[in-house]
Amino acid sequence: MSRDHDAQFGRLIGSDQVHIANANSAETVTGRPGFSGASGMLFEQAMAQTRMAVCLTDPNLPDDPIVFCNTSFEKLTGYPSHEIIGRNCRFLQGPKTSRRQLDRLKEALAREEVAVIELLNYRKDGSTFWNALHLGPIYDAAGKLVYFFGSQWDVTDIHLAREEEKHARMMAREVSHRLKNVVSVIGGIISITGRSLKVRDAADAINERVQALARAYEPTLDDAVFGTVEIGQAIKSVLQPYDPEGDRIGFTGNGVRTNPNAVSLIGLTLHELATNATKYGALSTESGTIEVGWRHEPDRHGRESLLIDWVERGGPAITEPVGTTGTGLTIADTLLAHSRAVLEREWHHSGLHAQIWLPIQS
Amino acid sequence: MLRILILEDEPFIAMDLQLAFEDVGVEPHVAANCDAALAVADEIDLDGAVLDVNLGQGQTCAPVAALLRSKSVPFVLHTGDLDRQGEFLRDLDAPVIPKPTTSRVLVETVIGLLKLDVTETAVR
Repeated sequence: MSRDHDAQFGRLIGSDQVHIANANSAETVTGRPGFSGASGMLFEQAMAQTRMAVCLTDPNLPDDPIVFCNTSFEKLTGYPSHEIIGRNCRFLQGPKTSRRQLDRLKEALAREEVAVIELLNYRKDGSTFWNALHLGPIYDAAGKLVYFFGSQWDVTDIHLAREEEKHARMMAREVSHRLKNVVSVIGGIISITGRSLKVRDAADAINERVQALARAYEPTLDDAVFGTVEIGQAIKSVLQPYDPEGDRIGFTGNGVRTNPNAVSLIGLTLHELATNATKYGALSTESGTIEVGWRHEPDRHGRESLLIDWVERGGPAITEPVGTTGTGLTIADTLLAHSRAVLEREWHHSGLHAQIWLPIQS
Repeated sequence: MLRILILEDEPFIAMDLQLAFEDVGVEPHVAANCDAALAVADEIDLDGAVLDVNLGQGQTCAPVAALLRSKSVPFVLHTGDLDRQGEFLRDLDAPVIPKPTTSRVLVETVIGLLKLDVTETAVR
């Protein structure tokens, strides 16, 4: 409730002294004088009929009991008014109601402050709801505290959404941890097997691919809850070990999102490009650089696509295509073809310019 | 010969690290939990250690780290749980090698970080 509203309510009460009728009976609460005239009746009707749950308590009576509640309050709490009037609001609290929030409530009442406090409340049937309680003091013309006004808003849905989001993030972190452990264990198995079969180099190459994949997935795990992932994070994560100082590879992208299935494809392809750059290209010299960009663009068939641009500079001077016969890029080509995607390569004098075109599934 | 403690509860990772250290002529001592690791640190004159942070059932390597520190034995932390363990790792104040890392790279990194003097006897 804004302070203005409070003041207006206070003035109304102060000028004519408030009349609070029990919403369910024609009688007024004994001894209470009323609003005069049409504005008074309108006000009472509004209070009675509003879908906002409302109650008034009287702090000048012992234990600050509820002296008024409207129909919406009855509906929200599940109690009929005759089981509400005369009781302190604490009958709505229960075992799981937060002590800390109750302390805040007590303090607001003691200080006669306007406050909004979220509390777990219990209905008559024992079911619970999250109550965003707005409360404020009401003064008469002489400035004496005469009532506390409370309005109750059911925010159970919002609370559940917040809890679900927290839970989803917790799960994502747990999954991330387990993924890393699984990949480490797989790495151990591959390494030990390679050793015993005397194919250490092959085993190392396999391990490096598996780990590139894990790095690609890692930053997207939180995101994937939403159905698409921000591909830039995966790109940077895959390429990070190739540029530990962060001065060889530049990144340009703008929050472009993609299907999570694209992550493994893009991760492995970038890993192969980076491996080649390390052996023959821009990363094989002291000062070569790579510019990696990603954006949406229509491909040559007019299909809306995710384009990843890879431009090497400063590597050894190129006179003919190199590294084209290794297994790495052959694997990448095959995987990409499955998604109707393509890896294009052009060798300029300054270095390799590669493009990954991935049509966006609609 | 240099002696390294490997504290790791995952048997495949432990075995892989053990073999990788042997490759470079270092003598590994593997422990799967804190008690075993504390016993090793007590009985053996160690030159360094690789400590897994999460050891299952809520156990961490903290007691082993404390003992090694008191004996001035340098160590690195090997963990995938960087996000949730951030503060804990900072308090341990040791280099962190993230999981997953291939065992060959881990061994090279450990030797570099702990400034170990090895004679390379690579076995292929």
